[in-house]
Amino acid sequence: MMDLDTVKERAGPREFSPADDLPREYREAATRMIEFHANSEIMGAYLERPFIRQSPSIDRKLAFSAKVQDEIGHGQLLYRAAESLGVKTREEMLDDLANGDGKFLNCFHYPLKSWVEVPMISFFVDGAAMRRQATLRRTSWEPYAHAMDKVCFEEGFHVKHGEDILKELMTGSRKEQQLTQGAFEEWWPRIIQFFGPTDDKSTHHDFAASVGLKQQSNDDLRNAFLDQYIPKARKYGLKIPDEPRIRERDDGTYAVEEDDLDWDEFFTIAKNEYEPGLGQINGRKQAQEAVDWVCETIEADAATARGHEPQAAD
Amino acid sequence: MIWEVFRQAKTGEYHTHCGNVHAPDREMAKQFAAIQHGRRKPTNSLWVVPREEIGEIGSDEVAFGGTTDKSYRWATAYNTTGTDAREVVESEDEQATAEKQRGDD
Repeated sequence: MMDLDTVKERAGPREFSPADDLPREYREAATRMIEFHANSEIMGAYLERPFIRQSPSIDRKLAFSAKVQDEIGHGQLLYRAAESLGVKTREEMLDDLANGDGKFLNCFHYPLKSWVEVPMISFFVDGAAMRRQATLRRTSWEPYAHAMDKVCFEEGFHVKHGEDILKELMTGSRKEQQLTQGAFEEWWPRIIQFFGPTDDKSTHHDFAASVGLKQQSNDDLRNAFLDQYIPKARKYGLKIPDEPRIRERDDGTYAVEEDDLDWDEFFTIAKNEYEPGLGQINGRKQAQEAVDWVCETIEADAATARGHEPQAAD
Repeated sequence: MIWEVFRQAKTGEYHTHCGNVHAPDREMAKQFAAIQHGRRKPTNSLWVVPREEIGEIGSDEVAFGGTTDKSYRWATAYNTTGTDAREVVESEDEQATAEKQRGDD
């Protein structure tokens, strides 16, 4: 088996694959990270799913259903990448998610109540996710990097669609603009917290970075996101809330005053103990139980399914 | 027995199909594949897979991607304002290329 020092020495982009005999510490850290990512794809899809029905037009409805389908697909890709580490099976990860033991992104613990909130997820949170995912194409676990290739390919549509919704709302009636500004103020601190705690408070960063799993620190990612998305928000007429305070550096880039953010709430969420978020977890659990019979039927039927006309999902 | 061969040029890259070999068993298939496909071209790893284990679905059987206009699921369908993040631009470029290569509507 490869020892940890060798892992750290060799840890370059896409360096390790299932053909390598990697130490338990690496495999567990990678599993935790990829499982978190996979869970987040699934929980994000469930958060947005009601807006397929609530879309204001047929175009939005089509785009939203395509997007939710993509996100579920990303979850499936990532569970495969996580499973290939040999620590946990997909069933174990999905069961943990249903039981409230599986961890996922802070933003997907908050209920999404109205259409004006949609671009907060589908533009800003997806934009933040893309920033992070683009760096993960260079992660050291090859199956994870390969999953990121496909995810990044598809994700551009999600962000552009989300931005298009924001643009439509911010060029709409005064009431629409006010409601969108209100939603932005509510979501803005959560969006900034997407990147997790600051580097000195981050529990897992050092190890994950030392073995090449993580490519950029929380702080660097957050600042890179702000540099790109504050000008975007302003362009559409959104006013950046006074808190958290954001400092503009001499070179025109931004840095956030991190003590202005609610880290108690963040860590309560991280433990799956945030009361309003339990509805999200339990909602997905019920959905999983409701379709159990479908999985059972497919599995029982697998032997007799041969010879059916082939079908491709479109 | 026919074994399909997939070659990975460098660590981290994809294994892509590069041909097939005759071999009585998996061990011999690996040896033949190494000689036929790993001898000249840069090779980090080879996979051999029994041909009868491969399932195939082709464009004569199904319309991949459906038959209706699905332009709404391409980034290129949306006009936004201002400079996009470079990873968004990259994704949009990849999508534009894929869309072009599809060659239909």
